[in-house]
This record gives sequence, C-alpha cells and structure tokens, in this order.
Amino acid sequence: MKSTKKILALVLTLALVFALAAPTASAKARAVKIGVGLYQDSGAAVSGVKAYLASLEDTLNVKFAYTVLSTNDEALNVTKVQELIAAGCDGIIITMDGGTEAILQECADAGVYLGGYLCDFDTSFRTNYDKVFKNEFFVGTVADGGCGDELKRGYDFFDSVIEYNERTPDAPIRHVAMTTFPAFAFPYQQNFVAQFVEKVEEYNAANPDKAIEVDPFNEETDILMFRPMDSTYFTKHPGIDAIVSMCAGSFVYPTMVSAGVSDTMKLFASGYNDGDDAIFGSKGAYQQEIVCANESITYPLVLLLNKINGVEFPDQPAEAERKSCSTFIINSDEDLELFKNSVYLTFNGEDALFSPEDVLNLTAYGNPDATYAGLCEILDHMTIEDLK
Amino acid sequence: MSETVTSQKLDERTSFKSFVKTHIFDLTAYAGLAVMLVLFLIFNSGPRLMYNFSAVVQAAAVYSILALGAVFIYSMGFMDVSLGQQVGVYVILMILIGNKIGGPGGVVVGFLVSLALALACGAINGAVSIFLGLPSIVTSLFLMFFFTGAQYLMMESTGENTIKLIQNVKPADRNTYTLMLIGIIILLAIIGNYFFNYTKLGKYTRAIGANKVAAKQSGISLVKWQVLGYMALGFCAAVASFVMLTRTGTAGKGTGSGYAMDIMICLILGGMPLKGGMKSKISCALVGAFTYTLLSNVLTTMGVPLNWVNFVKACIFLLIVLLTCRKPNGVLPR
Repeated sequence: MKSTKKILALVLTLALVFALAAPTASAKARAVKIGVGLYQDSGAAVSGVKAYLASLEDTLNVKFAYTVLSTNDEALNVTKVQELIAAGCDGIIITMDGGTEAILQECADAGVYLGGYLCDFDTSFRTNYDKVFKNEFFVGTVADGGCGDELKRGYDFFDSVIEYNERTPDAPIRHVAMTTFPAFAFPYQQNFVAQFVEKVEEYNAANPDKAIEVDPFNEETDILMFRPMDSTYFTKHPGIDAIVSMCAGSFVYPTMVSAGVSDTMKLFASGYNDGDDAIFGSKGAYQQEIVCANESITYPLVLLLNKINGVEFPDQPAEAERKSCSTFIINSDEDLELFKNSVYLTFNGEDALFSPEDVLNLTAYGNPDATYAGLCEILDHMTIEDLK
Repeated sequence: MSETVTSQKLDERTSFKSFVKTHIFDLTAYAGLAVMLVLFLIFNSGPRLMYNFSAVVQAAAVYSILALGAVFIYSMGFMDVSLGQQVGVYVILMILIGNKIGGPGGVVVGFLVSLALALACGAINGAVSIFLGLPSIVTSLFLMFFFTGAQYLMMESTGENTIKLIQNVKPADRNTYTLMLIGIIILLAIIGNYFFNYTKLGKYTRAIGANKVAAKQSGISLVKWQVLGYMALGFCAAVASFVMLTRTGTAGKGTGSGYAMDIMICLILGGMPLKGGMKSKISCALVGAFTYTLLSNVLTTMGVPLNWVNFVKACIFLLIVLLTCRKPNGVLPR
C-alpha cells in the first residue's frame, strides 16, 4: 500500500511539473492560429488546400490546425470546434453547416471568429439567419460554386454536353439520364436537374434534328444515398449515351466499370478524384468535372485575419454574407492539362492562383487600400481560364 | 523483532503483487486515463485550460451517461447496436414535441415521451431475444433499422436538413452548464453504482454474463433481468439524448450515428470485459468515456497531422485491447 501511495504521488508530481513547465513555452510571441474543419481527412482537395495554406504561413504569420467535421452529427462538430479553440485557434473556418449556432456560441465564449468555406450555410441562411449571419463572430462564407438563385450548375452540365457534341460530331450524345444526392443533404441538386431539362427542351425546340432525350428522373435509382450507384440504374435507363451526375463521379464511375459500360458511356460529374486524369476526355468516360478552387478559402481567411487584427474594410457590409464562387469546369483534354498545373493537383503553393503577397494585399491590415469589393472580386476569377 | 518486520514487509510486497495481479486490467484502464490526463494538462496550459476542461466535460457527458447504462447490457455479454439511432430519434422527438407545445413544459413532455419510448424499446430489446431465442444483437439490429427509418421519416416530414428547439434549455453561463453536466454525471454514476453493486439488478446481470445456464438454474429469471438491464440502458439513452439536445439545440438525420460503436470503444477502454460477467465494473463507463474523449481532444491539441489521427487512435485502441482483453474462460470472480 505504501508503494502504491508513492507511485500515485510521483504521477501527480510529474503532472504538476509538466503543467508548470508548459506555460514557459507558450510565453513566446506566437503566430495567429487558424483552425480549419474539413469535410474529409484525405484526398486531392484536402492536400491541395493544405498546401495552399502552408504557402501563406510565413508571409501572413499564420499557423493552421486541421480537423475533420461530420456531415450529420452536430454534436461532433461542436466538439471538433471546441478542440480547435482549445488548441489555441484565433479563428476557425468550417465546411459544414451543422450545429452552427452552438458552434458560434462556443466561438463567442472564447472570442474566436468563424468563417465558412465550400458551404453556402443554406440551412442557417433560411432558418436561423439572425443567430448566424448577424452574429458578430461570424465573418461570412464562400460556397462551393453558386449560392441560392446563383446556383446554375444544371446549365453548366448542359453546356458541357453541347460542347462535347460539337467536339465529336461523329458520336454525339443523344440520350442521357441523371443522378443526384438526396434532397435533405443537397436540396439544390433537384434544381440542377430542372435547369438541365429546361435547357435541353429549349435546345431541342431550336435543334430538332439534334434533339437530346433526357430520361425522366427515377427516385428509386437516380438518388444516391452516399453509396455507389446500383447497377439497376442501367436497367431503368437502357440505351443511354451518358450520365449527367450532379453528385461526385466517384459514386457513379465504379458501377459503370462493373457494368462494363465505362468504355462506351460518358460521364459528366462534379468533383475530381486522384487518378481521374487517366479516364478523362479522350482517354475515358469522364467528360466533365467541376471543382471549386482551393484558393476560395482566401475569402473567409482574409476576413478572419482582419477581425483578429482589429481592422475592417471601409466598405465592409454590416452583416456577414455568403458568396458564390466561380469554379473550374473541366470539360476537355485542354482544360485538364491546365487544371493539372493548379495547386489542387500539384500540392505546390507556388502554383496557386494567389501568391502570399497577393493575399496579404487583400487584407485591410496588410494594405490600407484594400476593400471588401476587391476581396469579393477574386471569387469571380477562379475558373479554368484563370489558370492559363 | 526484525524477523517480524521482515515478515511484515514480505507480506506487504506479496499483497501488493497479488493486488496488481488481480486488478491488472482495471489498473491498465486507469493508467490509460491518467496518461490522457497528463497529456491534457501538458498541452492545455494557459488561459484556455478551463475552456477545454468544460469542452471535455460537454463531449464526455453523453458518452458517460450512455456508457453507465450500457454497463448493465455489456455485463450480460450483450451489446446494443441501435443506441445511436435511438438517441437521434429521441432528440428529434424532444424538439418536435417541445416546439409543438412550446415553453419549458413542452420540453419536459418531449423528454417524458422519449423516456417512455426508450424504456419500451429496452423492454422489447430484452424480451424479444429471449422469447424468440435470438442473439440480442439481432433484436438490436432490428431496432437499429427501425430507428434509422424513423429518424429519416421524421426529418423528411419537417422538410429541413436540421431542426432547432425554440425553447432555450442550455444555461447561458458556461460554468453553470459545466457544473450541471458534472452534476448529472455524478448523480447517474451514484445511482448506477448503487444498482450495479448493491442490488439484484447488477448482481444478476453479471451472473447472466458469467454463466447464463448456471444463472438460470440458480433461479434467476433471465427474461426479467435482461429486460430490466435493457430498460436501464433505455433510461440512460433518454437522459443522454436530453444532454445532447442542451449542447446543440438541433437535430438532423444523422444525429447520434455511430454512438453504438463509440460506447463499445469507451467501455473497452474502461476495462470492461466484452463477455461481461463478474469482473464487470460500473467504473468502466466513466473511465472509458473520459479516456476516449480526452484521446480525441489531446490528439487535436497536440497537433497530430489529420491523416494520422485515425491511425494513432487505432494503435492506442489496439494496445489497450491487448492489455485489457481477458481470457474467455477467466470470467469467474476470484
């Protein structure tokens, strides 16, 4: 028993010693710390955004900490944000709109600012605007593409199909079917379907000899519940030339391969995965991929840094905003070659659309002439053409 | 005299060795918690220490409460894979009923309805497996699918991705909220400890886990005590759901998902034998819940690279399982 007491006393002493020693390390002047809550822990998009942010660290005197959030567990998101706050973050960027009000309360308690990236915060925008967008600790968010009425992805898909047909007049696409994610997670994807159908009907009316047939949307097979598409899809949609997938291609392509149609059927999808370049354009099934530039994180980052440094743009809006962002629409071999040079795939910060000095000049403390309008303008310049 | 002193010292050393040998698994679990606490203190010094302490309490509260109830099930050698989905449905119910009726009374009614449902599900879980002669996991699988569908349908009916409780149930003051959670955990731990160690409920559930046949032949009603054990878990599930609601004030289609696995991990980290039996301890719940929460917290505050977090967790989990796993035949108390 005496030995046990000695052991316990030693453990407690060690704990106290470490606790006392630690403040010494933290007494040095430290960089601003920004936490980033991502939607996944690996993949090209994650590596790309981390590479971009790493390239900004020295010039902006910022350190970044990362965690992964949950698409459907609000309590876990609150926990992850609390951990980032406990890790010393002065600002946090999140990619999910789950538990946002509770998260903002945590941020307010700790004096930490919050921004959004790759998320339009649609639920908060529609149902909890006052508590989120009017909260002084929320700086705003940039979406993965368009927001609200500015979401026109269905039109982008249509344009890509027409562009493909013009490029390959000998084997045009005349019959398509679609897929989406469930409406509870991605409510706007049903709008994309309607947009695509609307454009096709307009096109068919003007070009009856080049009419494109769009299969009616089948809720049983066409809604992917975050699992790979079932092969019964092809039974429900016989004879199609292409799949227009509003959701990520990684949920569709493997089923195309197992069904033996990947060599003949084309795929227009969102997102980009490692290895897609080998099966893109003239090399394979993928004919379109839509990707949001990693550099769009600059929007919430600049706003956070301004807040942390106690400055504001002269034209800063009174309330936080959600902004649309242009996207990389890759629908040709040439586009893919340009995309391969972006930080998204090279993981080299020097290939980013903005240099560290560019980003510093976007901030109000780094450039007294910087404006909010100027910051928003960069969001319109994240297209494939800007990679040239 | 010197012989007496030497003999006494020898007895003490032998007693200590015997103590360690007998309680090696529990000591390992406590050592794991101690290590996590030390790391927590090392990496959380400064002005945010108290903030992070309250964050840990908030995160661990739901796990602790669920684990306290799950001890009764796991001591019988069973598990409940429907736990997460049950929590999700109960939170949604509390919000829907609370918003419908309005005011604090609405929340109370919502909680009582969820509690009644939880107790009923516990009874079903416990009884059906016995009556149908099925492994308990089969009935809990049925409930898991049932509650998954219920959660989905309830959220679909709202037309929203997430729903929010209008009535505020979380104390405005952070410290008050933390103390409230600590109070709930302590209260449930005292109640759980009493029932597990000083009543037939704990004694018989452990006996069922130790040897079901012997327990039955001793006159223990398997149906009754299995049902009561699952109802104890149901009670804790309802309370945990309310605590989760106070934390976020919202719920969605995925609320609570994965909690069944998390609770299993918590109990294993706490030294709970998966086959149950007489060596089951109520302390496994709190030790494991806080170890699990601190592990996740410490990995973030230490700055462990994102793509290493799951690997590190897996290694730590494997180490603890190897250290605490008990031989299948060694289930009788010494």
